[in-house]
Amino acid sequence: MNLKELYQEIILEHGKNPRNLRKTEGFNKDAKGNNPLCGDNVHVYLKLNGQKIVEDASFEGSGCAISMASASIMTDLIKGKNEHEAKEIVQDFLGMIKENPELKSEYLSEDEKTKLMCLSGVKQYPMRVKCATLSWHTMVSAFDENIEEVKTEN
Amino acid sequence: MKIDQIKKEFPIFDEKIHNNDLVYLDSANSSQKPKVVVDRINDFYTKQFSNVGRSVHYLAVAATNLYENTRTSVQKYINAKDKNEIVFTKGATEALNLVANTLGQSYLQEGDEVLITELEHHSNYVPWHFLRKSKNIKINFAEINEEGEITLDEIEKKITPKTKLISITHLSNVTGAILPVKEITQLAHTKGIIVVVDGCQGAPHLKLDMQDLDCDFYAISCHKMYGPTGLGVLYGKKKWLEELPPYQGGGGMINEVKKDRISYGELPNKYEAGTMATAQVIAFDQSIKFLESIGIENVMSHEADLVEYGQELLQKNNSVKLIGNPKNKGGVLSFTIEGVHPHDIATILDEDGVAIRAGHHCCQILHDKLNIPASARASVGIYNTKDDLDQLNNSINNCKKIFNL
Repeated sequence: MNLKELYQEIILEHGKNPRNLRKTEGFNKDAKGNNPLCGDNVHVYLKLNGQKIVEDASFEGSGCAISMASASIMTDLIKGKNEHEAKEIVQDFLGMIKENPELKSEYLSEDEKTKLMCLSGVKQYPMRVKCATLSWHTMVSAFDENIEEVKTEN
Repeated sequence: MKIDQIKKEFPIFDEKIHNNDLVYLDSANSSQKPKVVVDRINDFYTKQFSNVGRSVHYLAVAATNLYENTRTSVQKYINAKDKNEIVFTKGATEALNLVANTLGQSYLQEGDEVLITELEHHSNYVPWHFLRKSKNIKINFAEINEEGEITLDEIEKKITPKTKLISITHLSNVTGAILPVKEITQLAHTKGIIVVVDGCQGAPHLKLDMQDLDCDFYAISCHKMYGPTGLGVLYGKKKWLEELPPYQGGGGMINEVKKDRISYGELPNKYEAGTMATAQVIAFDQSIKFLESIGIENVMSHEADLVEYGQELLQKNNSVKLIGNPKNKGGVLSFTIEGVHPHDIATILDEDGVAIRAGHHCCQILHDKLNIPASARASVGIYNTKDDLDQLNNSINNCKKIFNL
């Protein structure tokens, strides 16, 4: 039962064919993250335009289906958002993955919420929460221009 | 030998995991504990507890005797010449750090070379890396062949006139390769090179004879050997342990302490500073007795059967790729499934009660070499059966189904 919730079709599909798995040309923000426990790593790239809106988002790295799907969905829905909106979405997502039953952010469309809720099965697998959240923490780090690599252990 | 009977001695197998029987295939990580070991810890704390080696009261004397009994048991079990060649540590990691640190203090010089292998666990690399930083020693890596083995030839090739020390695993925790430690030691000693062996995987699964192997140091992890956590053993040849400086300072390791001078205690106290993992040491005697009651030859043949069976099973399973195919292989089956990340494999297997490890198993150098970020690993112990491996294979098939393979 739980496994089906964790590995929903959309997760498997995004895990297998991740969107935005590339390096954005002319990116102006980026950050690296890694999960020392398992050796997984991710590099997030953002290209913000003159109005500070995310024009493009992408990532490179390797990881499990959960982490790849999470990064894939994240980079898709963050396009068109500004830093404030993006960070609020991150907080909303992290809250949902850990405890909240639903997403509340006004910056997410119903369709985007549905997609993100596909990752909610992770809640029941505490060891796997880091897989789902690594790329999100890394994106925040890119906005903040942190040079230090994000580690899920912190 | 009746495995069913042996399995009954491990209380953990009465537990249900997600409503399934436990199929424990993670013994290379840590083994389960027989009841005698668990009971011994409880008994010691309940009826016999005292600190050892300090007070003269009844309990202290009795506890000291029990503690020293384990040292003698270990000495006999690994056929060391002298009981004082057995030093208790907090783990094999500390044992290897002790060796690297003390050799670094007084033996290895700037420019000296240490030869390790691509198979090494981080605990047999990082301590040498410290010396690379602090003493400017050089670390060379013997490379694996296609089968995931380290051959004697490869070791010979990598020895230079500056090689002062070779530090190698006895049995790889990823490919399962058993290294020709005796031959490597013979070769090394003709060139005056010290040999350190990481015996974490060797000690629970192979016959140990220090006088036959002739290595200078051998590190053992007790929790992988059906014993308690927080305990390791360092075997070191007496001449080295006598010659090298202490590792940690504190109570128990001293002879005389004055404001202007300190002299250190004799072996083995010299290396056992502070209150040791007393209950664990005393309980570890039961682990040795447990292994002796089965007989290491029986352990080895049972585990060899399991590995052969598991290897055949997984080789026949499409899309499963085994890592390494050493001729001389211990009870480790590492694999990948194309299209499924090892962490996903481990989560899905867990749902069936099948406990395996996923990740780089503290061997990033090896995984880099194999060009994979991680692998899944099933490893066996004395309590495993062929049924366990069948269940592993069935759960792998379930995993493939979930991922539409």
